[in-house]
Amino acid sequence: MIQFSEEKLNKVSEIIARYPEGKQKSALLPVLHLAQDVFGWLSTETMDYVASLLKIEPIEVYEVATFYTMYNLKPVGKYVFEVCQTGPCMIQGSDDIIAYIEEKLSIKPGETTADGLFTLKAAECLGACGYAPMMQMGKFYKEHLTKEKVDAIIAECRNVENAN
Amino acid sequence: MSRKLLLENAHIEGIRYYDVYRKNGGYRSVEKALKMTPDEVVEEVKKSGLRGRGGAGFPTGMKWSFIAKPEGVPRHLVCNADESEPGTFKDRYLMEFLPHLLIEGLIVSSYALGSNTTYIYIRGEYAWIPDILEQAIAEAKANGFLGKNILNTGFDCEIYVQRGAGAYICGEETALIESLEGKRGNPRIKPPFPAVKGAWDRPTVVNNVETLAAVVPIINIGGEEYAKIGVGRSTGTKLISACGNINKPGVYEIDMTISVEEFIFSEEWCGGIKNGKRLKACIPGGSSVPILPANLLLKTAKGESRMMNYESLSDGGFATGTMMGSGGFIVFDEDQCVVKNTYTLARFYRHESCGQCSPCREGTGWMEKLLLRLEKGQGKVSDIDLLWDIQSKIEGNTICPLGDAAAWPVAAAIRHFRDEFEWHVTHAAEAQARNFGLAHYADPLPVPEAAAV
Repeated sequence: MIQFSEEKLNKVSEIIARYPEGKQKSALLPVLHLAQDVFGWLSTETMDYVASLLKIEPIEVYEVATFYTMYNLKPVGKYVFEVCQTGPCMIQGSDDIIAYIEEKLSIKPGETTADGLFTLKAAECLGACGYAPMMQMGKFYKEHLTKEKVDAIIAECRNVENAN
Repeated sequence: MSRKLLLENAHIEGIRYYDVYRKNGGYRSVEKALKMTPDEVVEEVKKSGLRGRGGAGFPTGMKWSFIAKPEGVPRHLVCNADESEPGTFKDRYLMEFLPHLLIEGLIVSSYALGSNTTYIYIRGEYAWIPDILEQAIAEAKANGFLGKNILNTGFDCEIYVQRGAGAYICGEETALIESLEGKRGNPRIKPPFPAVKGAWDRPTVVNNVETLAAVVPIINIGGEEYAKIGVGRSTGTKLISACGNINKPGVYEIDMTISVEEFIFSEEWCGGIKNGKRLKACIPGGSSVPILPANLLLKTAKGESRMMNYESLSDGGFATGTMMGSGGFIVFDEDQCVVKNTYTLARFYRHESCGQCSPCREGTGWMEKLLLRLEKGQGKVSDIDLLWDIQSKIEGNTICPLGDAAAWPVAAAIRHFRDEFEWHVTHAAEAQARNFGLAHYADPLPVPEAAAV
């Protein structure tokens, strides 16, 4: 059963209070982010739960969740590498970075490693054009990527896993 | 040295926090503005000549004066921080390093517009920045600059941060409003304009981050003083985010009196082309503005030096000019392939099209396919004409400007680099092994025949 903790439910109420009365649907994007943070991805069950919290129809949640690229509609790895591939990153070698990660992790963009640790995605412009090539990993950006830097990032993720 | 109005204090350690920001003259504009009437604040902004810094360049004071004021209906200011135009990363810099400057600008602007609840809509990928902004908001509130009865003037204001979730289209103001309301980012048909019917059908003004930050120096020095900086209708300072094959990529504040050549080659700015290469082309205002070859970039068709301001960059229209746009300045060296770059931009626009209008939904994907075919050396010369035909049928035929934004880069690339596209067809195998190179793109412009006496 999908259920937010008391703390998260308070957060939802706090978000709803930012908008005019009766316009609680406006809280949908932030609450979906919250749900994804807690449950990892947005299953139909999770989206239905969000709909019930905001007192809107499930379809209103589905149509939003499918529109925005940041919502995961299927499970993803623990570490998601979203490598920007638009013009300014492309001319700084983002294709090589994507190819290197593909080779290193034996996955293609859109796929997750068998151990469930890594997902690779090719992303469109992330607003870090001056620090290219780059990728988003969770909440933060990893910029000025090189093959060595990619190696170090992957090794660090694995170290964190082994320590747990 | 160009005058700095926004980034003047960016280097000061701890400027992200209230105490340091306040010690360095922060929040003076709020103290000053709240002693004026809201209309007087709007008047100062009008006098300043400030133009929207998000890309369209519409006069901000005029936009503010359009806001409807029906009795008993709340109004809203929404800050557009959905920075997503490829090449643009200036708002991110402002929010990350000078969050209080934005909050200060928002308070003054909210007062001018009568917005008691103001929202910052920030792109979802800038996931760490809401924490920075929310801290700044909490600090401003703790010091009496936000909340109830600000500075005992009776003005109440709250600011909330809302994260988007990955959609370029939400930078378009009506799509942004839809998204703020918890919907898909489908742009609305205008009219009604947001100033009359915006968020929750209330009068709403949507302004870019840099625009709202610029309100702070305008109030501090006065609109007239602000208008004296710059040239003609390009008043004040503009943030330029420079990237591509240059020595010093980053965010720069310019006063719009310097030339493009100076900006690219001077040590004060981009520091020249990386690795001693030569300049081939540049997209000076974010991916949707026309790309120019080096010769037309540095000199206008009339042979004058091209300057870094709204008028000079657009000199010659789309035939030989481009646009200031968002200030996303992308520089290409002689090794870059215009066909491949145009392909990645077409892919971007196809990915970001909301799908509402057929010309954009179908056209962007069609252009992407043709460009990929050409890039891979599998295209025909007729594909180039077909591309031209498609882009011309997208432009102007969509609800929002995303259609134009997708059409213009393709049109400009073919207009100025047609020989490179043709070479991809006539020398298909070679095109896979090497780039077309500099060709004649950096050669001096031919003297117009009429003038060659």
